[in-house]
Amino acid sequence: MITTTPTSRLRNRDMTAAWRHIDFVLVALVAVAASFGALMVYSTTRHHSGTSTVGKHLMFVIIGFGAMGACAAIDYQRLRDWARPIYVGMVALLGGVLAFGSTHRNIKAWFDIGPIQVQPAELAKLATIVVLASYLGTIGDRLRLRHLVVALVGLGIPIGLILMQPDLGTTLVFVVIGAGMLVVAGIPMKYLGLLLVIGVIGVGYILNSDTLDQYQKERLLAFATPDRVSEKVSYNTQRSQEAAAAGGFSGQGLFEGPQTRGGFVPEQETDFIFTVPAEELGFIGAGGLLVLLGLITWRIWRTAQLARDEIGRLICVGVLCMFVFHIFENVGMNLGIMPVTGIPLPFISYGGSAMIATFATMGLVMNVHMRRFS
Amino acid sequence: MSERPVSLARLSMVGIVCISLFASLFVRLWYLQIIDKTEHVRATRINLKTVREEGSRGRILDRKGRVLVDNEITRVIGIERQDMSDLSAKERDEVFDRLAVTLTRFGIPTKSAAISAKYDDRRYGPLELVPLVSGVNSPALEVYLAERHELFPGVVVRRRAVRTYPYGAVAAHLLGYVLQINEKELAAKREEHKALRAQDSDVVVKPYQGGDEIGKAGVERTYEDDLRGTPSDKTIQVDARGDYVTTVKESKPRQGDDIWLTIDIDLQAFAEQQLAQKLEEVRAKGANTKSGAQRNAPQGSVVIVDPRNGQILAMASNPSYEPADLVNGISSALWAKLNDKKQGQPLFNWALQGAYAPGSTFKLISATAALDSGFLTPANEHFNDRGSYTVRNCKGGRCTFYNAGRVRLGTVDVARSITVSSDTYYYWIGDQLWQQRGRFGTTAIQDVAADFGIGSVSGVALPGESAGWLPTPQNRKERHEKSPKAFPNGSWYAGDNLNTAVGQGDVLVTPLQLANAYATFANGGTRYVPQIVMAVTRPKDIGRNPADPDNYEVVRKIEPEAAAKVEFVPGAYEKIWQGLVGVINNGAGTANSAWLANRAAFPLAGKTGTAQVSGKEDSAVFAAFGPAYSPNNPIAPPSYAISIVLPESGFGGEEAAPLAFRIMAPVSSGTVPLASPIAPPPTEGGTTP
Repeated sequence: MITTTPTSRLRNRDMTAAWRHIDFVLVALVAVAASFGALMVYSTTRHHSGTSTVGKHLMFVIIGFGAMGACAAIDYQRLRDWARPIYVGMVALLGGVLAFGSTHRNIKAWFDIGPIQVQPAELAKLATIVVLASYLGTIGDRLRLRHLVVALVGLGIPIGLILMQPDLGTTLVFVVIGAGMLVVAGIPMKYLGLLLVIGVIGVGYILNSDTLDQYQKERLLAFATPDRVSEKVSYNTQRSQEAAAAGGFSGQGLFEGPQTRGGFVPEQETDFIFTVPAEELGFIGAGGLLVLLGLITWRIWRTAQLARDEIGRLICVGVLCMFVFHIFENVGMNLGIMPVTGIPLPFISYGGSAMIATFATMGLVMNVHMRRFS
Repeated sequence: MSERPVSLARLSMVGIVCISLFASLFVRLWYLQIIDKTEHVRATRINLKTVREEGSRGRILDRKGRVLVDNEITRVIGIERQDMSDLSAKERDEVFDRLAVTLTRFGIPTKSAAISAKYDDRRYGPLELVPLVSGVNSPALEVYLAERHELFPGVVVRRRAVRTYPYGAVAAHLLGYVLQINEKELAAKREEHKALRAQDSDVVVKPYQGGDEIGKAGVERTYEDDLRGTPSDKTIQVDARGDYVTTVKESKPRQGDDIWLTIDIDLQAFAEQQLAQKLEEVRAKGANTKSGAQRNAPQGSVVIVDPRNGQILAMASNPSYEPADLVNGISSALWAKLNDKKQGQPLFNWALQGAYAPGSTFKLISATAALDSGFLTPANEHFNDRGSYTVRNCKGGRCTFYNAGRVRLGTVDVARSITVSSDTYYYWIGDQLWQQRGRFGTTAIQDVAADFGIGSVSGVALPGESAGWLPTPQNRKERHEKSPKAFPNGSWYAGDNLNTAVGQGDVLVTPLQLANAYATFANGGTRYVPQIVMAVTRPKDIGRNPADPDNYEVVRKIEPEAAAKVEFVPGAYEKIWQGLVGVINNGAGTANSAWLANRAAFPLAGKTGTAQVSGKEDSAVFAAFGPAYSPNNPIAPPSYAISIVLPESGFGGEEAAPLAFRIMAPVSSGTVPLASPIAPPPTEGGTTP
């Protein structure tokens, strides 16, 4: 007996139905990356916590998939209508965390909700991308100075609030997201140049003011002149580079890396997770992970090209900038070519807020991808 | 929405930026993992930790295999720096404060600042234990610290073997002691080992590190390389918390080799006890009624060697010390006390570090020189001792010399001159040898003295030996030219030769040299290097008797070593022998009355000496050997040579000779009382170095 499946019926009915254009390649790549990440987290935490850390990690991955689905489901065009409340909510959260948040390692960035901690800055990345894309995508055919001013003010408020935590790394993520979106939105080169100059002056001012804690400055200095700062600051990067170097071409073997087993790399399951594949799986594993993340990047970029409108394109560009900057900063600091900041490696690092936020951004990209014909 | 062409172009730009960022990560990853190998080597080393367990030192046995120095387990409380590296300075100081309070409460007064100073002591490597307190015998403290590990991160209690001395202070100077190695010694040992490895890459050395013990005196020092245990070489992999992961390489610690001394602990203990008793008696006599000089008897020595091979059977030096007091380090107060001149410098082994005028015991050498040189012949052997001697054609220095007490001894020959100890006879010899130096040379006496071992170190394997002093015209001149202020007189006069001939003037000998000189004569002229260690053995089972031949393998035996040969012209040996025997058994002999008071079971031959030291009471000196049945007796050759030196004590015949006979009487009859081991006193708590 031949029956007609619902799908075939639907195909006939609506060739442009959004769910028919889901980027399954991206979904598959994300699933592989998240699984790989879980394995790495297990490798570094199994000695002191058994499966409990990786269990929580997998829970975040599942929530992340849910968040991805949710972000993909609602047409991003409608998100535009919610841009104002989203923005106001984001600023409220960032302001609230400064007032009521809890402090870890000198950064006031977390809401303690029962046993879990939520980092509003991670959600703010997502919100900023949506809001900025909504605005820059609807300004007509030319980006004028007033548009630029509005965009910069809109960006400046969350950046300022995060700088007050003070979380330097996340601030940089916002700067990069904003810069990337402005570039693609067609910012004239002269304004871009001007912004660069202002940026350099701003960085100089921040470094000489009391905004940053001494340790943050030391981290930056440690990167620039490793011999001049205290041993403790360069210790992390020293150890992470040694772990990577110990991996060699084919690695020490999964669960066999002495640095990883011994817990010699501080904060290895979060900021220094990249040392696990580097040490245990060597160049093959670490390089393979970079290839995997590169493929995801390529899917995001491709979606930006395919986007049906400017808003969708800018959303993808924002996600792309955020994603690539996270990877470059995180892997870069693991390998000693970037200063140490608390930027997690997408899909790999342990950490709920960042994991869910990353999945959500992928949801946005899928959102744009699946609605490219509608 | 209109599609802005600019945005697609700009998007490509963003894509290119992304590609270059990924590319730079790849390049860096490739560089770190494939090209830069040096980092790799460092990384693998970081997780490895060398755990060292000291191999305990070898034991020291007497010639019959009785244990003189053993080991016992105590506890060391120390710090593992690595385990404290995660603490902030404040947290660390808190741990130190807490530890100081705890130690003090357990009866070990400790200051937090002292712990902190130890922590900063760079003698200890980053992975080495920094010892804070040693010799802790309180298991309660060990348990207390172990149960509160979180309060005392990095504080560890380690068990350690320390020296014990079953016979207490007996033979302390010979045994020596061990203390923590100092930086200089550590550097020297490392250099030495480096040189050894350069010669032979397979050579097995016993490595040192800060906190290790090293022999500082006695045979502990000279036989350090044999006695030292081999530490374990165990390399383990640890995690960042210092917890054990896996063992990479392991070798067990091994106890050092046992050494066998030539001394007999019974004889040693008896000699020490007799010496101490004699010194008490001398001091009890008070001031000399004639000269008014006080009989201080600040120190004394007894040396007994076997003339047949140079083995030291006993070597006593008084005052002495308890080596057990130095087991856990030496306090500056104790150090000062042990080196206090007013207390006779107990740490000194006067038997080989002390140099004394030999007095008339030197006449053995002068007589040999006079006979060997041909100055004394059977036709020209007699001399009329009128109680004094005046140098003919006297040009400088003193010109008239007297016998002790200015006694007239009448006609004397070689034998009688020794028996009655005629100084005038030897003044005559000294003068004539010098006047006829064209024929006899300028150093006729000194040449023979050098053959007997005077003026040079004997070569015994004990540290700090003095060479004594054998004055010659040559070295007097050199000494004067080197420091004219300290030695204003650079010329040699006939009077100096006279003084030398009777063992006065500048002549200085150590008690060991003196005993060895008489041993040399006793065996017919062979001077051996005095021997203190006769064998090195490697125990098979530490728990079992180290003297059981089934329980050790011989690493090496130390054979007697002849250093020089003294020749005697025909008839000379017998004449001197006769004189030395007469000292003891002839009614006119200077040691006869002492002998009659305390005869040995076999005949002895010897010579008394009463050496004058300006401003002080005379040194009582005596040297003898036995059994002295007859010269060159092949059946019962002399098997003991003994020297006694008692500075600031009086006449050799009255003080030194009786002590020798008191010791030799039971030796000759085989009735030396057995030395009894003492039980080590139980100690609680510990000491902070």
